[in-house]
Amino acid sequence: MSIAILMLVGGIAAGMFGSLLGLGGGLLIVPLLTFGFDLPLREAIGVSLVCVIVTSGASAAVFLERRVANLRLGMVLEMFTAVGALVGGLVAFLVDERVLAGLFAGLLVYVAISLIRPRSGTPAPSPVDPGGAVRSTFLDRLSGPDYQVHRMGPGLAGSIVAGLASALLGIGGGLVKVPVLHLIMGVPLRVATATSNLMIGITASTSAWIYLIRGGIDPYATGPTAVGVFVGATLGSRIAHRVDLRALRLLFTLVLLYTAFAMLRRAMGVQ
Amino acid sequence: MAVLLRLGTYVAVGLIMCGVILMLAGGLSPLDPAPAFDPARLLDDLSALQPAGFLWLGLLVVLATPAARVAVSVAGFVRAGEPRMAGVAVLVLVVIGVGILFGTAGA
Repeated sequence: MSIAILMLVGGIAAGMFGSLLGLGGGLLIVPLLTFGFDLPLREAIGVSLVCVIVTSGASAAVFLERRVANLRLGMVLEMFTAVGALVGGLVAFLVDERVLAGLFAGLLVYVAISLIRPRSGTPAPSPVDPGGAVRSTFLDRLSGPDYQVHRMGPGLAGSIVAGLASALLGIGGGLVKVPVLHLIMGVPLRVATATSNLMIGITASTSAWIYLIRGGIDPYATGPTAVGVFVGATLGSRIAHRVDLRALRLLFTLVLLYTAFAMLRRAMGVQ
Repeated sequence: MAVLLRLGTYVAVGLIMCGVILMLAGGLSPLDPAPAFDPARLLDDLSALQPAGFLWLGLLVVLATPAARVAVSVAGFVRAGEPRMAGVAVLVLVVIGVGILFGTAGA
Protein backbone atom coordinates (compact mmCIF):
# COMPACT_ATOMS: atom_id res chain seq x y z
CA MET A 1 0.00 0.00 0.00
CA SER A 2 1.37 3.43 -0.88
CA ILE A 3 2.54 5.77 1.85
CA ALA A 4 -0.07 8.35 0.76
CA ILE A 5 -2.88 5.86 1.37
CA LEU A 6 -1.38 4.87 4.73
CA MET A 7 -1.21 8.54 5.72
CA LEU A 8 -4.82 9.05 4.60
CA VAL A 9 -5.95 6.06 6.69
CA GLY A 10 -3.87 7.26 9.65
CA GLY A 11 -5.46 10.70 9.30
CA ILE A 12 -8.95 9.15 9.27
CA ALA A 13 -8.15 7.23 12.47
CA ALA A 14 -6.65 10.30 14.19
CA GLY A 15 -9.62 12.47 13.16
CA MET A 16 -12.18 9.88 14.23
CA PHE A 17 -10.67 9.04 17.63
CA GLY A 18 -9.88 12.71 18.27
CA SER A 19 -13.51 13.58 17.58
CA LEU A 20 -14.88 10.69 19.69
CA LEU A 21 -12.69 11.58 22.67
CA GLY A 22 -13.19 15.34 22.33
CA LEU A 23 -9.47 15.89 21.83
CA GLY A 24 -9.51 17.40 18.36
CA GLY A 25 -7.22 15.92 15.74
CA GLY A 26 -3.98 17.72 16.61
CA LEU A 27 -2.98 15.71 19.63
CA LEU A 28 -2.92 12.41 17.73
CA ILE A 29 -1.54 13.65 14.39
CA VAL A 30 1.84 14.79 15.68
CA PRO A 31 2.75 11.37 17.20
CA LEU A 32 1.27 9.61 14.13
CA LEU A 33 3.51 11.54 11.74
CA THR A 34 6.66 11.55 13.86
CA PHE A 35 6.61 7.92 15.00
CA GLY A 36 4.60 6.41 12.13
CA PHE A 37 6.17 8.20 9.18
CA ASP A 38 9.40 9.55 10.64
CA LEU A 39 8.56 13.19 9.88
CA PRO A 40 10.59 15.81 11.77
CA LEU A 41 8.61 17.01 14.80
CA ARG A 42 8.39 20.65 13.66
CA GLU A 43 7.04 19.57 10.27
CA ALA A 44 4.47 17.31 11.96
CA ILE A 45 3.35 20.26 14.10
CA GLY A 46 2.89 22.36 10.93
CA VAL A 47 0.75 19.62 9.33
CA SER A 48 -1.22 19.29 12.55
CA LEU A 49 -2.04 23.02 12.66
CA VAL A 50 -3.55 22.80 9.17
CA CYS A 51 -5.63 19.76 10.22
CA VAL A 52 -6.84 21.62 13.31
CA ILE A 53 -8.13 24.53 11.17
CA VAL A 54 -9.83 22.16 8.70
CA THR A 55 -11.62 20.16 11.40
CA SER A 56 -12.65 23.19 13.45
CA GLY A 57 -14.13 25.01 10.42
CA ALA A 58 -17.19 22.83 9.91
CA SER A 59 -18.01 22.44 13.62
CA ALA A 60 -17.53 26.17 14.32
CA ALA A 61 -20.08 26.88 11.58
CA VAL A 62 -22.59 24.65 13.39
CA PHE A 63 -21.98 26.46 16.71
CA LEU A 64 -22.41 29.84 14.97
CA GLU A 65 -25.69 28.78 13.41
CA ARG A 66 -27.01 27.51 16.75
CA ARG A 67 -25.90 30.81 18.38
CA VAL A 68 -24.34 28.92 21.31
CA ALA A 69 -20.91 30.57 21.14
CA ASN A 70 -20.20 33.93 22.78
CA LEU A 71 -18.75 35.82 19.82
CA ARG A 72 -17.86 39.00 21.74
CA LEU A 73 -16.01 37.20 24.54
CA GLY A 74 -14.34 34.89 22.01
CA MET A 75 -13.06 37.84 19.97
CA VAL A 76 -11.66 39.68 23.02
CA LEU A 77 -9.86 36.56 24.26
CA GLU A 78 -8.70 35.77 20.73
CA MET A 79 -6.78 39.05 20.63
CA PHE A 80 -4.57 37.62 23.39
CA THR A 81 -4.58 34.03 22.14
CA ALA A 82 -3.43 35.25 18.73
CA VAL A 83 -0.56 37.14 20.37
CA GLY A 84 0.43 33.91 22.17
CA ALA A 85 0.23 32.01 18.88
CA LEU A 86 2.31 34.66 17.11
CA VAL A 87 5.05 34.48 19.76
CA GLY A 88 4.83 30.66 19.87
CA GLY A 89 5.07 30.41 16.08
CA LEU A 90 8.26 32.47 16.08
CA VAL A 91 9.75 30.66 19.11
CA ALA A 92 9.02 27.25 17.52
CA PHE A 93 11.68 27.98 14.89
CA LEU A 94 14.25 29.11 17.45
CA VAL A 95 14.17 26.21 19.91
CA ASP A 96 15.62 22.75 19.47
CA GLU A 97 13.11 20.08 18.42
CA ARG A 98 13.95 18.18 21.60
CA VAL A 99 12.44 21.01 23.66
CA LEU A 100 9.22 20.70 21.62
CA ALA A 101 9.30 16.92 22.17
CA GLY A 102 9.63 17.45 25.95
CA LEU A 103 6.69 19.88 25.96
CA PHE A 104 4.62 17.48 23.89
CA ALA A 105 5.36 14.64 26.30
CA GLY A 106 4.07 16.82 29.16
CA LEU A 107 0.91 17.62 27.20
CA LEU A 108 0.26 13.92 26.50
CA VAL A 109 0.55 13.04 30.20
CA TYR A 110 -1.84 15.90 31.11
CA VAL A 111 -4.41 14.73 28.54
CA ALA A 112 -4.01 11.05 29.50
CA ILE A 113 -4.82 11.94 33.12
CA SER A 114 -7.74 14.20 32.14
CA LEU A 115 -9.24 11.34 30.07
CA ILE A 116 -9.73 9.11 33.11
CA ARG A 117 -10.62 11.88 35.57
CA PRO A 118 -14.32 12.67 36.09
CA ARG A 119 -15.31 15.16 33.41
CA SER A 120 -17.39 17.77 35.16
CA GLY A 121 -15.56 20.53 36.99
CA THR A 122 -17.31 23.17 39.01
CA PRO A 123 -16.64 26.79 38.14
CA ALA A 124 -14.94 28.77 40.87
CA PRO A 125 -17.40 30.98 42.80
CA SER A 126 -17.73 34.58 41.65
CA PRO A 127 -15.24 36.88 43.30
CA VAL A 128 -16.71 38.89 46.16
CA ASP A 129 -17.35 42.48 45.16
CA PRO A 130 -16.85 44.56 48.33
CA GLY A 131 -18.18 47.63 46.55
CA GLY A 132 -21.62 46.11 46.24
CA ALA A 133 -23.35 46.29 42.90
CA VAL A 134 -20.60 48.09 40.98
CA ARG A 135 -19.84 45.90 37.99
CA SER A 136 -17.79 46.61 34.95
CA THR A 137 -19.97 47.60 32.02
CA PHE A 138 -17.44 45.98 29.71
CA LEU A 139 -17.72 42.61 31.48
CA ASP A 140 -21.50 42.92 31.42
CA ARG A 141 -21.43 43.35 27.66
CA LEU A 142 -19.25 40.23 27.35
CA SER A 143 -21.56 38.16 29.56
CA GLY A 144 -24.46 36.04 28.39
CA PRO A 145 -28.16 36.32 29.23
CA ASP A 146 -27.90 33.71 32.02
CA TYR A 147 -24.28 33.99 33.18
CA GLN A 148 -21.82 36.67 34.26
CA VAL A 149 -18.22 36.63 33.05
CA HIS A 150 -15.63 37.33 35.73
CA ARG A 151 -11.86 37.11 36.38
CA MET A 152 -10.91 38.75 33.08
CA GLY A 153 -7.22 39.04 34.06
CA PRO A 154 -6.55 35.32 34.64
CA GLY A 155 -8.74 34.61 31.60
CA LEU A 156 -6.57 36.77 29.36
CA ALA A 157 -3.37 35.21 30.79
CA GLY A 158 -4.82 31.74 30.15
CA SER A 159 -5.65 32.79 26.59
CA ILE A 160 -2.02 33.73 25.93
CA VAL A 161 -0.92 30.32 27.28
CA ALA A 162 -3.47 28.62 24.99
CA GLY A 163 -2.00 30.45 21.97
CA LEU A 164 1.56 29.54 22.93
CA ALA A 165 0.61 25.88 23.42
CA SER A 166 -1.22 25.81 20.09
CA ALA A 167 1.74 27.18 18.14
CA LEU A 168 4.42 25.13 19.87
CA LEU A 169 2.55 21.82 19.89
CA GLY A 170 0.27 21.95 16.82
CA ILE A 171 -2.98 21.74 18.78
CA GLY A 172 -6.09 23.92 18.70
CA GLY A 173 -5.65 25.02 22.28
CA GLY A 174 -9.16 23.96 23.34
CA LEU A 175 -7.55 21.86 26.09
CA VAL A 176 -6.54 25.14 27.73
CA LYS A 177 -9.34 27.45 26.55
CA VAL A 178 -12.33 25.39 27.72
CA PRO A 179 -11.09 25.07 31.36
CA VAL A 180 -10.12 28.77 31.37
CA LEU A 181 -13.55 29.84 30.11
CA HIS A 182 -15.53 27.42 32.27
CA LEU A 183 -13.60 27.00 35.51
CA ILE A 184 -11.98 30.44 35.78
CA MET A 185 -14.31 32.83 33.96
CA GLY A 186 -17.60 31.19 34.94
CA VAL A 187 -18.89 30.53 31.41
CA PRO A 188 -21.25 27.50 31.18
CA LEU A 189 -19.48 24.43 29.75
CA ARG A 190 -21.66 24.28 26.61
CA VAL A 191 -20.93 27.94 25.77
CA ALA A 192 -17.24 27.54 26.70
CA THR A 193 -16.84 24.60 24.30
CA ALA A 194 -18.60 26.44 21.46
CA THR A 195 -16.67 29.69 22.05
CA SER A 196 -13.36 27.81 22.21
CA ASN A 197 -14.20 26.01 18.97
CA LEU A 198 -14.93 29.32 17.29
CA MET A 199 -11.51 30.65 18.31
CA ILE A 200 -9.47 27.55 17.42
CA GLY A 201 -9.24 28.22 13.68
CA ILE A 202 -8.06 31.80 14.20
CA THR A 203 -5.48 30.74 16.80
CA ALA A 204 -4.08 27.91 14.69
CA SER A 205 -4.02 30.00 11.50
CA THR A 206 -1.99 32.78 13.18
CA SER A 207 0.97 30.45 13.73
CA ALA A 208 0.25 28.28 10.66
CA TRP A 209 1.01 31.30 8.43
CA ILE A 210 4.44 31.54 10.07
CA TYR A 211 5.00 27.78 9.62
CA LEU A 212 3.93 28.01 5.95
CA ILE A 213 6.15 30.99 5.11
CA ARG A 214 9.16 29.51 6.90
CA GLY A 215 8.88 26.15 5.13
CA GLY A 216 7.41 24.30 8.12
CA ILE A 217 4.42 22.90 6.18
CA ASP A 218 5.09 20.14 3.65
CA PRO A 219 2.20 20.07 1.13
CA TYR A 220 2.78 16.41 0.17
CA ALA A 221 2.57 15.23 3.79
CA THR A 222 -0.25 17.64 4.65
CA GLY A 223 -2.54 16.68 1.73
CA PRO A 224 -3.41 13.05 2.59
CA THR A 225 -3.33 13.69 6.35
CA ALA A 226 -5.67 16.71 6.22
CA VAL A 227 -8.19 14.96 3.95
CA GLY A 228 -8.06 11.88 6.22
CA VAL A 229 -8.55 13.91 9.40
CA PHE A 230 -11.49 15.81 7.85
CA VAL A 231 -13.21 12.54 6.85
CA GLY A 232 -12.38 10.89 10.20
CA ALA A 233 -13.66 13.81 12.29
CA THR A 234 -16.91 13.87 10.29
CA LEU A 235 -17.34 10.11 10.79
CA GLY A 236 -16.50 10.42 14.49
CA SER A 237 -19.18 13.02 15.14
CA ARG A 238 -21.77 10.78 13.44
CA ILE A 239 -20.98 7.57 15.36
CA ALA A 240 -20.19 9.08 18.78
CA HIS A 241 -23.52 8.00 20.32
CA ARG A 242 -22.97 4.34 19.30
CA VAL A 243 -19.51 3.88 20.82
CA ASP A 244 -18.62 2.83 24.37
CA LEU A 245 -16.50 5.86 25.23
CA ARG A 246 -15.41 4.57 28.67
CA ALA A 247 -13.45 1.68 27.17
CA LEU A 248 -12.05 3.95 24.46
CA ARG A 249 -10.92 6.53 27.04
CA LEU A 250 -9.12 3.85 29.03
CA LEU A 251 -7.45 2.47 25.91
CA PHE A 252 -6.29 5.92 24.82
CA THR A 253 -5.03 6.78 28.27
CA LEU A 254 -2.60 3.88 27.87
CA VAL A 255 -1.78 4.83 24.25
CA LEU A 256 -1.11 8.46 25.22
CA LEU A 257 1.06 7.47 28.21
CA TYR A 258 3.13 5.15 26.01
CA THR A 259 3.42 7.93 23.38
CA ALA A 260 4.47 10.37 26.11
CA PHE A 261 7.22 7.94 27.12
CA ALA A 262 8.41 7.67 23.49
CA MET A 263 8.29 11.46 23.11
CA LEU A 264 10.26 11.90 26.32
CA ARG A 265 12.93 9.52 24.99
CA ARG A 266 13.13 11.68 21.87
CA ALA A 267 13.44 14.80 24.02
CA MET A 268 16.36 13.18 25.82
CA GLY A 269 18.01 12.30 22.52
CA VAL A 270 17.37 8.54 22.82
CA GLN A 271 16.11 7.21 19.47
CA MET B 1 -20.17 33.99 8.82
CA ALA B 2 -21.20 30.34 9.17
CA VAL B 3 -21.69 30.09 5.39
CA LEU B 4 -18.23 31.55 4.79
CA LEU B 5 -16.68 29.05 7.22
CA ARG B 6 -18.41 26.11 5.64
CA LEU B 7 -17.67 27.28 2.10
CA GLY B 8 -14.00 27.98 2.87
CA THR B 9 -13.56 24.60 4.54
CA TYR B 10 -15.23 22.62 1.73
CA VAL B 11 -13.43 24.51 -1.06
CA ALA B 12 -10.10 23.99 0.73
CA VAL B 13 -10.71 20.26 1.34
CA GLY B 14 -11.84 19.90 -2.31
CA LEU B 15 -8.67 21.54 -3.62
CA ILE B 16 -6.45 19.47 -1.31
CA MET B 17 -8.30 16.32 -2.36
CA CYS B 18 -7.60 17.16 -6.04
CA GLY B 19 -3.93 17.54 -5.11
CA VAL B 20 -3.90 14.17 -3.34
CA ILE B 21 -5.54 12.42 -6.32
CA LEU B 22 -2.94 13.98 -8.64
CA MET B 23 -0.21 12.89 -6.20
CA LEU B 24 -1.48 9.30 -6.29
CA ALA B 25 -1.84 9.39 -10.08
CA GLY B 26 1.70 10.68 -10.45
CA GLY B 27 3.12 8.07 -8.05
CA LEU B 28 4.33 10.76 -5.65
CA SER B 29 4.96 9.86 -2.01
CA PRO B 30 4.18 12.25 0.88
CA LEU B 31 7.80 11.72 1.92
CA ASP B 32 9.19 12.95 -1.43
CA PRO B 33 10.76 16.41 -1.31
CA ALA B 34 7.99 18.91 -2.08
CA PRO B 35 8.45 22.17 -3.99
CA ALA B 36 8.70 25.20 -1.71
CA PHE B 37 5.80 27.66 -1.57
CA ASP B 38 6.17 30.11 -4.46
CA PRO B 39 3.13 32.31 -5.19
CA ALA B 40 4.54 33.16 -8.65
CA ARG B 41 4.37 29.49 -9.70
CA LEU B 42 0.90 28.79 -8.41
CA LEU B 43 -1.06 29.53 -11.60
CA ASP B 44 1.42 27.64 -13.80
CA ASP B 45 1.25 24.61 -11.49
CA LEU B 46 -2.55 24.71 -11.50
CA SER B 47 -2.85 24.94 -15.27
CA ALA B 48 -0.26 22.14 -15.67
CA LEU B 49 -2.31 20.02 -13.19
CA GLN B 50 0.67 19.72 -10.86
CA PRO B 51 -0.36 18.35 -7.43
CA ALA B 52 1.67 21.01 -5.62
CA GLY B 53 -0.43 23.79 -7.21
CA PHE B 54 -3.72 22.36 -5.87
CA LEU B 55 -2.20 21.51 -2.49
CA TRP B 56 -0.71 24.99 -1.98
CA LEU B 57 -3.91 26.73 -3.11
CA GLY B 58 -5.96 24.50 -0.78
CA LEU B 59 -3.60 25.31 2.10
CA LEU B 60 -3.88 29.04 1.37
CA VAL B 61 -7.69 28.80 1.45
CA VAL B 62 -7.49 26.85 4.76
CA LEU B 63 -5.29 29.52 6.34
CA ALA B 64 -7.20 32.48 4.89
CA THR B 65 -10.67 31.31 5.94
CA PRO B 66 -10.36 32.17 9.67
CA ALA B 67 -8.98 35.64 8.83
CA ALA B 68 -11.83 36.18 6.36
CA ARG B 69 -14.26 35.22 9.10
CA VAL B 70 -12.75 37.86 11.41
CA ALA B 71 -12.94 40.46 8.59
CA VAL B 72 -16.64 39.68 8.12
CA SER B 73 -17.22 40.04 11.86
CA VAL B 74 -15.62 43.54 11.73
CA ALA B 75 -18.32 44.57 9.28
CA GLY B 76 -20.97 42.86 11.44
CA PHE B 77 -19.89 44.74 14.58
CA VAL B 78 -19.85 48.07 12.68
CA ARG B 79 -23.37 47.42 11.38
CA ALA B 80 -24.52 46.53 14.90
CA GLY B 81 -23.17 49.86 16.20
CA GLU B 82 -20.41 48.27 18.27
CA PRO B 83 -17.27 50.19 17.29
CA ARG B 84 -15.28 48.88 20.27
CA MET B 85 -15.86 45.24 19.28
CA ALA B 86 -15.09 46.11 15.64
CA GLY B 87 -11.78 47.55 16.89
CA VAL B 88 -11.04 44.33 18.79
CA ALA B 89 -11.66 42.27 15.64
CA VAL B 90 -9.40 44.62 13.63
CA LEU B 91 -6.67 44.10 16.25
CA VAL B 92 -6.98 40.31 15.80
CA LEU B 93 -6.45 40.83 12.06
CA VAL B 94 -3.45 43.06 12.82
CA VAL B 95 -1.88 40.29 14.96
CA ILE B 96 -2.34 37.77 12.11
CA GLY B 97 -0.79 40.33 9.70
CA VAL B 98 2.17 40.93 12.02
CA GLY B 99 2.72 37.16 12.15
CA ILE B 100 2.85 37.01 8.35
CA LEU B 101 5.28 39.96 8.27
CA PHE B 102 7.56 38.46 10.94
CA GLY B 103 7.34 35.07 9.26
CA THR B 104 8.38 36.58 5.94
CA ALA B 105 11.19 38.57 7.55
CA GLY B 106 12.73 35.47 9.07
CA ALA B 107 12.17 33.15 6.09
